[in-house]
Amino acid sequence: MEGGNGKVMSAREAVSKNVHDGDSLAIGNYTVSTCAELIYEIVRQDKKGLLLYSQSGIFDVEVLVGAGCADRLITTYVLRAGGKKGGSAVERALNKGTLQIEDYTNYQYSARMVAGMHGFSYMQVFEGAILTDLFRKRGFMGENKFRVVKCPYTGRDNLTVPAANPDVCVVHVQRADKFGNAQYWGALGSVAAAALASKRIIVSCEEIVDHEVIRSSPHLTIIPACRVNAVVEVPWGAHPTEVLGYYNMDQLMYGLLLQADCTADGLKSWMDEWVYGCENRLAYIDRYVKKFGSKLLDNIRCKPFYSAPANYGAAFYSRWDWEGRERAMGLTLAEFEQSLRERGKLYE
Amino acid sequence: MSKPYTLQELLVIAAAKEIHDYENVILGIGLPVAAGALAKALYAPHATLMMESGIMDFEPLVPLNHIADAHSCRGFSYATDLFSTFTMTYRGFIDVCFLGVGQIDKYGNVNTTVIGDYNKPALRLPGSGGACDFLSYARRTVLTMMGGTFVEKLDYVTSPGYLDGGGSRDESGLFPMGSGPTMLLTTKGVFCFDRETKEMYLARIHPRVSVDDVKKDIPWDLKIAADLQESIHPTDDEIDFIRRFAPAVSAGRELALELTLRNLEQLLKR
Repeated sequence: MEGGNGKVMSAREAVSKNVHDGDSLAIGNYTVSTCAELIYEIVRQDKKGLLLYSQSGIFDVEVLVGAGCADRLITTYVLRAGGKKGGSAVERALNKGTLQIEDYTNYQYSARMVAGMHGFSYMQVFEGAILTDLFRKRGFMGENKFRVVKCPYTGRDNLTVPAANPDVCVVHVQRADKFGNAQYWGALGSVAAAALASKRIIVSCEEIVDHEVIRSSPHLTIIPACRVNAVVEVPWGAHPTEVLGYYNMDQLMYGLLLQADCTADGLKSWMDEWVYGCENRLAYIDRYVKKFGSKLLDNIRCKPFYSAPANYGAAFYSRWDWEGRERAMGLTLAEFEQSLRERGKLYE
Repeated sequence: MSKPYTLQELLVIAAAKEIHDYENVILGIGLPVAAGALAKALYAPHATLMMESGIMDFEPLVPLNHIADAHSCRGFSYATDLFSTFTMTYRGFIDVCFLGVGQIDKYGNVNTTVIGDYNKPALRLPGSGGACDFLSYARRTVLTMMGGTFVEKLDYVTSPGYLDGGGSRDESGLFPMGSGPTMLLTTKGVFCFDRETKEMYLARIHPRVSVDDVKKDIPWDLKIAADLQESIHPTDDEIDFIRRFAPAVSAGRELALELTLRNLEQLLKR
């Protein structure tokens, strides 16, 4: 794909240009459509010391923490592979002392991103949490995890969280154009806020579409081109998680990961095979098909259920009608110019 | 006599009956989604089912993988974001929500974050997700506990129930008056909360379970309803619906996993 101000690039290039050791990194996706290929690429490039923001820190966080890329995590929800008997990369890293965690509720996490997105310094959250350990237990953010302020209008104590402005957001969407207009639909979660709060944005998508497609469906655009630093076209880019309209969750691969994730060694050998062992998504899908056959992928391809088109049309796109007359004044261009001349409006 | 049922089916029905017609309902994965689907099909056709990911007014056709699963339905009526779903809850528009429990105390305060030390966890549980804000601001909350435990003191307070009991929740001034957990469903029985003391008591007991079986899991002297009854036998319609909609829920987590893994092994051998 040519053009687009040079934003269209490979995952390797996008990550190497935009994700740096020590960055705060936001996973833009919430639970579904996880930007798996961008995450795998961060792992392959062995980024270190990341402060990781992930609202639903399951698959993505396990991979990044398992690989030792992140040493701090801000989240609301983490994975427990295999129930009580199992474990997780997060649990192992906490016990080893290689990871620090800060827990919020889903809403509080969103509020931090929404504040960041709009340029506010904090956001009001719901006061009930004051009576929980979410409020009482502070991790690496200390006093700045929450602050209580007096509402100037009601005089009540308001609980607040600070704005988040991560250095970079990685996010996977259904489609984008070469300029970076990113369209996403389904469970909106906090996807737009996480991306727009961030300083740099890497968008990966199932397909790059013509700009005209975006123009006719702007209600689906959640990130505007002017905010996007890189656009990466990656079919199956969220596998084994799902992308609405493209594919369902791959229960087989997800199950294999969950099984492997019960132990550190298990996760390592799974990553050796599926992350380090595949140089890009094409190689990953090739390996998958060689190992399991293509039928499993075909089984999870989505059948069409199209959104009804919304008519963005207007009655006309010119002030001059089909007879060449101005729609309000009823004059042709020549008659109009004649009037301008007669009234002394024209300068020679 | 209607046909035989599983314990999980009984639980789904008990949860579903907490959804009344025309109510706004926040569902969680697993049993609550099956309950929501059943309620919509049989008891509460005008209920609006929602998920915190911003999927509003959906009708699940298959069980959800997680709370952002738009693949489980054929479209839905309103796509909003998570922030707005919670502000809607805060403003009092959510009638009932369903939450899972890791640890619970006698006043319905809930831990879903950690067992043991927060920084060096014996078991790191998922965390709050939406739990704390839903238990704070939904009008009613139905709690479900499958693998969790009853404790005197929570290792971590994730979500506020009736705090120290009595009027303490309402008196705190931080929650809608009268809100809080209304019911706890476990594999042994159904627990409710006393109107005055807000202490949990055993309200219904499942078949093949004795009061002593229930009591041995509970570290305090559990109160028992004077009119303690056994859960009633589901109807064929209820059983059929759940079994077709969510066979894995009917089977229960362990058996469903065992059968799935067996199928997977055969698949990989081929």
